[in-house]
Amino acid sequence: MAEANTIQEGFLCPMCHKDLRSPNNLIVHFQDLHSEEQDILKSIKDIYDKYYLEYSDPQEPGPTRSHTDYFRAVRRERLDHRTTETNKLIIRLDRLLRFYGSDRKQQEQELVTWVEGYLVSRCPACTLPFNIARRQHHCRLCGSIMCNSCSYFLPYEIAQTIVAPVNNGSDREPATGKEGDNLRICNHCWNMLDCRRRVQIEQMKQPIICQLYSHLQKNKFHIQNTVDMYEKMYNSLVSGETTYLLQDLQSLRTTIADKAQMIDTLSKKIALLPVDPGMPKAAALQNNIRKATSVYIKDYLLTLSAPPTVQELEKIKRNRSIGVVEDDIPTPKPSIKKVTVTTGWSPANVTNETTVVEENDPLLEQMNIVRNYIDQARKAQRFEEVASLQENLQLLKKMYREQQKEEYGKK
Amino acid sequence: MNVIAAVKAYVLKMTEESEPGMKVLLMDKETTSVISMVYGQSEIQQKEVFLLERIDSPNYSNSSGLRYLKCLVFLRPTQQNIEALCTELRNPKYGAYYIYFSNIIAKADIKVLAEHDEHEVVKEVQELYMDYLAVNPHLFSIGLSTCMNSLQWDQGALQRSVQGIISLLLSLKKCPAIRYQANSRLCKDLGTRIDEIMSKESSLFAFGQNSQPLLLILDRRDDPITPLLNQWTYQAMVHELLTINNNRVNLSNVTGVSKELSEVVLSAEQDTFYAKNIFMNYGEIGTNIKQLMDQFQAKAKSHQKIESIADMKCFVEAYPQFKKLSGNVTKHVTVVGELSAMVTKYHLLDVSEVEQEISSQNDHSSHLHSIKKLLNNEKVRSTDAAKLVMLYALRYQNHSNNDLTGLIELLKKRGVSDRLLRHIVNILEYAGSHARQSDLFNVENAVKITKRFIKGLSGVDNVYTQHKPLLHDTLENLVKGRLKDQLYPFIGNHFSNGRPQDIIIFIIGGATYEESLTVHSFNKNYPSFNILLGGTTIHNSASFLEEVEQATRNVPRKHTRNIRNIRFD
Repeated sequence: MAEANTIQEGFLCPMCHKDLRSPNNLIVHFQDLHSEEQDILKSIKDIYDKYYLEYSDPQEPGPTRSHTDYFRAVRRERLDHRTTETNKLIIRLDRLLRFYGSDRKQQEQELVTWVEGYLVSRCPACTLPFNIARRQHHCRLCGSIMCNSCSYFLPYEIAQTIVAPVNNGSDREPATGKEGDNLRICNHCWNMLDCRRRVQIEQMKQPIICQLYSHLQKNKFHIQNTVDMYEKMYNSLVSGETTYLLQDLQSLRTTIADKAQMIDTLSKKIALLPVDPGMPKAAALQNNIRKATSVYIKDYLLTLSAPPTVQELEKIKRNRSIGVVEDDIPTPKPSIKKVTVTTGWSPANVTNETTVVEENDPLLEQMNIVRNYIDQARKAQRFEEVASLQENLQLLKKMYREQQKEEYGKK
Repeated sequence: MNVIAAVKAYVLKMTEESEPGMKVLLMDKETTSVISMVYGQSEIQQKEVFLLERIDSPNYSNSSGLRYLKCLVFLRPTQQNIEALCTELRNPKYGAYYIYFSNIIAKADIKVLAEHDEHEVVKEVQELYMDYLAVNPHLFSIGLSTCMNSLQWDQGALQRSVQGIISLLLSLKKCPAIRYQANSRLCKDLGTRIDEIMSKESSLFAFGQNSQPLLLILDRRDDPITPLLNQWTYQAMVHELLTINNNRVNLSNVTGVSKELSEVVLSAEQDTFYAKNIFMNYGEIGTNIKQLMDQFQAKAKSHQKIESIADMKCFVEAYPQFKKLSGNVTKHVTVVGELSAMVTKYHLLDVSEVEQEISSQNDHSSHLHSIKKLLNNEKVRSTDAAKLVMLYALRYQNHSNNDLTGLIELLKKRGVSDRLLRHIVNILEYAGSHARQSDLFNVENAVKITKRFIKGLSGVDNVYTQHKPLLHDTLENLVKGRLKDQLYPFIGNHFSNGRPQDIIIFIIGGATYEESLTVHSFNKNYPSFNILLGGTTIHNSASFLEEVEQATRNVPRKHTRNIRNIRFD
């Protein structure tokens, strides 16, 4: 009895309580020594298959160490500086754009102190000396000095878009300076402004391939859910259970086929998108998306086992019922599960007119409502719910029958 | 302890962590191999990775970018890679970067990278420990074709091996005690370096393990015989005769092979026939491939008669599987066909029989006789002839009637190249009796004789698979707790605490597929043990002789001065 009290763990053989250490060993052991217990063997296999799918195949990854926080901290320190600089430039630029009139030069110098000319003898950008031919110029944004050829001229129109990228200068006076006027700025300031501008442009534009691809992925995701459901129903059906109906399985298969068609078309569309000849990568990408999709359809969708025919199904059911009788194992009554609506779906309000009002019996009424639910759930291809609703209906029917019997008895 | 699953899990984590979207995977030469060992291209495409790029390819830096792609970066933490990545981040080609290093990276390198990320494109920086090649679930390699110079560690190779093993231990969550082969400086150096890193990174190595695993470091020189033998199990045979390189077999030299079969992938992960037959012997593969053929033909036949709509429907449904099967059948038929052609053409069965006898029996005069007979056979390849002489040289190095000189003369008469002749001297310098601590040829002790009798009676002993690698004895001792502490001491202040259940064997100088088979059968026969085998590389005889040549280059002849008819000029 001492043994009965110890709790054993591991891959135990249900017959001899030996620990076999791995599911494979367990199955082999069972096949060798207890081959007469086919039912148990099957259930072990099932458990193992599930185990294999859920835990073994994607083995839990080993440890990892993240440096992201440290990386971000270092980057922030550097970029904070850069961001404030850029923001300063933009504020100045905004004010520069508002200046006009004869004292513009003075206003400009008030905004940012210009470097004194005598301090700089060579252009800091190209290191050539200043003289009569190569004169000193000031950057309007930071006040530093450079030569003419090292200056960058920022057109007013572009400056406008930098200051206000969204409302393209519509509510501000459009021509503060003259049309086609430029601001002289240095290379450094231009880089900072340009960098920011490019980031903004990137953020706004989303190429067509992205839209198509996200559409494709969304559909693929839906298909995957449907496929999972299909496999579950299929397995349940061929193992002789009556939880799901064959016709539902068939309709699900049609849905999958339709969706497969859809992602096929989408991926073709992606493959045929026009490609810039200078971008061989884009072409490769589009082709690979197409290839991956057709592999997915071939390997995951076309390989789905076809639904059994009505005859096959009958045979399975018969075999199963024989097996049950022979073993004489009372199958435990399935407990009634509550209908759990997982993704926010619920049968639309059942119109009460459809249920027969004369039915005074609350049970009958209830049964009608459930039947209605089943129809709706089937239409929405919510077969999980169909199954549990069916179960409910069976129970109701049983209760109704008992009630009837009782009433007859009374009479 | 499954290295394939460990690497796969990391790759999966890498592809899933980076949010959905089209992705490109940026790798270097070595990480490309790491990934390609476990994932095929079409498989990784299902993880939304549509482009593969090499950061070290010469035209990568001028290639165009696609800003709408996410970039998964998977690199070894080397100086070149960090520099290349800095350049990349300064002018990013892609929209976002998820950076994964295959090993421990210095903080200073992270800082440098962070300073170059001016566009804030980096979203993630992590270490994922997969700095080794996962060959089979119980077999890994570092991918170093040679690891010694002048019979000492090549420093680069030592460093690489340390990194490889450290990442292996981390990926499997093992913090082992380390034992090493006592007579080998190389083993001790490697063990000490690993131990140092384990204590330095003790926070990383803090796993809650039930029992302490063992890392046993061995030197190839203790068993130079195994890599020289012809092999008769599928994987080992393919490697010996056709060479497997990162799961790929080059068949372009095979006559009449179609273009798509010029390089085939042999991966147990994607190919069930291969997975089933990887450890089967030559005879069994023949039967199995016939079965596969029959199966295929039956399917093909059923596809021929398409009469009704229902047949058509059936055909369309089964066609993808059919096509897959057909590709697989052609592949294996080609491979096995080539193997069997070589076996017949070069009389490999005869050669192997003698090889096996030399390696596992003790009968000098009859062995000498059989070798001489084969050396006179024109069909036997020069390499096989030379290998037979090498086996003889190792086996009877100190035998009183040693007739190596005579055999070398015979080889010369056959016109065997000087290089092959020099290999005989090389291998004696590399792994002659002076370099071995185990009794490699103690094959005929009393226990084994009785065993042989029993085996002989039941008639299961196969003449081509008599040889058991030295590793077999080592493992047997280890499993029974009889491995001597003087011969295999512990590193540091570890001590023997019972029998470890998880055992990692690492062979400096390369493991072989024969040893992989040994480990595989140990795992099967002793389910309570979990053994993993690794090596600086996976050798066949050709690659092994190259390594020996490299290791003994410029080493003065100490132990082979008596062999006067081979000269190095």
